[in-house]
Amino acid sequence: MNQAESILSLRDVEKTFAGHCAVDGVSLDVARGEVVAVIGPSGSGKSTMLRCINLLEVPDRGTITVDGTDLDTSGTVSARDLTQLRRRVGMVFQSFNLFPHMTVLRNISLPQERVLGRSRDEADRRSMELLERVGLQQKADAYPAKCSGGQQQRVAIARALALDPEIMLFDEPTSALDPELGLEVLAVMRQLADTGMTMIVVTHEIHFAATVADRLIVMADGRILEQGPPQQVLDDPQHARTRTFLSAIKDR
Amino acid sequence: MDVLPIIVAAIPVTLGVTAASFAIGAVLGLALVAGRRSRWTVVRGLSRSVVEVLRGIPPIVLLFIIFFGIGSGALRMEPFQAAVIGLGLVSAAHLSEVYRGSLLAVPKGQFEAADALGLSRSTTSARVIAPQAFRVAMPGMVTWAISLLKDSALVSTIGVAEIMSVTNQHARSSGDGLMPFILAAAVYIAIGTPLAIWSRWLEKRFARIRKAA
Amino acid sequence: MKSAIFSDWAEWLPRLLDGLWVSVQVTGLSLIIGLAAGLLLALAAFARTRLLTWPAILLVEIGRGMPALVMLQLVYFGLPSVGLTLETYAAVVLALSLTTAAYTSEIIRAGLRAVPDGELEAADALGMSRGDVMRFVVIPQGLRIALPTLLGFAILIFQISSLAFSLGLPELLSQAYSIGAATFRYLDVLTLAGLLYLAVTIPAGWLVARFERRLSRHLTT
Ligand SMILES: Nc1ncnc2c1ncn2[C@@H]1O[C@H](COP(=O)(O)OP(=O)(O)OP(=O)(O)O)[C@@H](O)[C@H]1O
Ligand SMILES: [Mg+2]
Repeated sequence: MNQAESILSLRDVEKTFAGHCAVDGVSLDVARGEVVAVIGPSGSGKSTMLRCINLLEVPDRGTITVDGTDLDTSGTVSARDLTQLRRRVGMVFQSFNLFPHMTVLRNISLPQERVLGRSRDEADRRSMELLERVGLQQKADAYPAKCSGGQQQRVAIARALALDPEIMLFDEPTSALDPELGLEVLAVMRQLADTGMTMIVVTHEIHFAATVADRLIVMADGRILEQGPPQQVLDDPQHARTRTFLSAIKDR
Repeated sequence: MDVLPIIVAAIPVTLGVTAASFAIGAVLGLALVAGRRSRWTVVRGLSRSVVEVLRGIPPIVLLFIIFFGIGSGALRMEPFQAAVIGLGLVSAAHLSEVYRGSLLAVPKGQFEAADALGLSRSTTSARVIAPQAFRVAMPGMVTWAISLLKDSALVSTIGVAEIMSVTNQHARSSGDGLMPFILAAAVYIAIGTPLAIWSRWLEKRFARIRKAA
Repeated sequence: MKSAIFSDWAEWLPRLLDGLWVSVQVTGLSLIIGLAAGLLLALAAFARTRLLTWPAILLVEIGRGMPALVMLQLVYFGLPSVGLTLETYAAVVLALSLTTAAYTSEIIRAGLRAVPDGELEAADALGMSRGDVMRFVVIPQGLRIALPTLLGFAILIFQISSLAFSLGLPELLSQAYSIGAATFRYLDVLTLAGLLYLAVTIPAGWLVARFERRLSRHLTT
């Protein structure tokens, strides 16, 4: 892949926790509009890699480039760079992490007001637009506790989208959900992919990976074990470890 | 600084009041918690009222009622006796709440399992429930001991010659109202801190055990 | 005989109620001042720099570690020797405020810490500043979590206000004691004072318990 058209690249990113190497020199280029699915056994460093991209974890070594702006993570990152990075990279968590003391609408509007400086009206208008897009405009005034898990996750997606990010990161967005609720979240993500959003999705949903992703990455021991078009990786894995892992999830 | 030896000499009295009140409270507290779990509504209501009154009244007021009220009438009482009775009663109420909370923390399944095994009620209580509940109650009991240590300063007002009382006397006679009280505060903190650390350690250990289970 | 007791009680009651009003006043003032200081201490203890956390934690531990009675005596008898002489009323309010600050800061800090990490991460990931995260996410929720315990503490400080007796503040216990000294009817008048304390603390305790149940119901559904 050509560097010029990649919107995100990681170079030799490394992150160690107490002597244990969670991410061990990962390099990755993602093109604008590309949807990348990441799979791999538990503890293989998927979350850590994702969290390194928006610096929720600060890598020990390596460079992260978002749309031409380099961040050398070995030095200290300024607060301004950090805010810049985070408004361009949205993240959705396994556990939704909505603010329970705010209504759905406030959850989506507050970050717009505080981070982008939008007026309350402007923010609310944008929030309603996004709520409509995820099919939840009727929940605007409800508190998160009054929404199902699937609804909460769709709100969390809307909240991240409200900052107009260029890249969206998803860390197992459906793992905490019953299967049928997971489907409504996956539908929203599929729709988002169709609009051309650049997405990196850590997931155990093989079907989603196979049908929506442009590329499938398999991680093990903090490294990228193999990658390629999803069908190819799924049908014809190159590594024995990939085969074991795939058969384990398919048998579930 | 010459007050320090005087304060140190009074430490045993403070510890004595604290320990004796705690012992009384620990035993009476058992009775109160048994009462609150009794089969009979009247006993349950009565125990609950006793606990609410003892927890709701300021300890110093209770001490005054016992020492000046009852003690000046039919029952002559030494200050130390009145102190230990008063603080013992307050402790009983608080410790019964600690016990009650710890009993609630024992999973229902434990009672059911003991039932299913055909254990008698007393065996279940003594061998199955009490040991588990006690472990849960430990940090709360130690925390109460720390409160009690501080509350024991109250008994200076009825004339028990513990830390607070000798400090007050010295402050009055020497005209220095600062140093004696700072030293007294330091001594209370010095006794209470190890207890606080112990309680925190117990709590952490309990949290670990529960996580592992 | 019985009616004689009650007519005495009726005679004492106005003085005792005056005392009760003083108790309620110093409790209220101490709570207002102490809670504000407690919140500041909690935020300092929650800060990221040790320069702030250590002194705050030390102050709190000292304030909590000493008996409230010592705090009262220290403020009233000790401060004059560093050039600050306070009237009894002011000394009582200051001492109780300090005790309140120490205890409530610990309660509030526990509340702030109970806000789930995931929400802080989400706020971080949204690019919110540290100040905004505290203001919009941590403080509102932390205070809400701490509220029942804070209310419980308010009842406790009302009880503690009876220690102001030792400085001669004419609050409820002082009034009862001086009536007792004048009439030698200690048992009656102290019991009546005790009942007045209970008339405040027991219903207040019920209200707090009810409030706590309602709050937990709100959070789980
Ligand atoms: N904050 C942390 N402190 C210490 N170790 C950590 C931390 N976060 C992750 N690790 C360790 O790093 C390794 C990689 O963890 P990571 O969460 O990235 O894996 P994962 O692939 O996302 O796994 P899962 O599928 O279970 O979510 C694991 O061994 C984990 O224990
Ligand atoms: Mg993970």
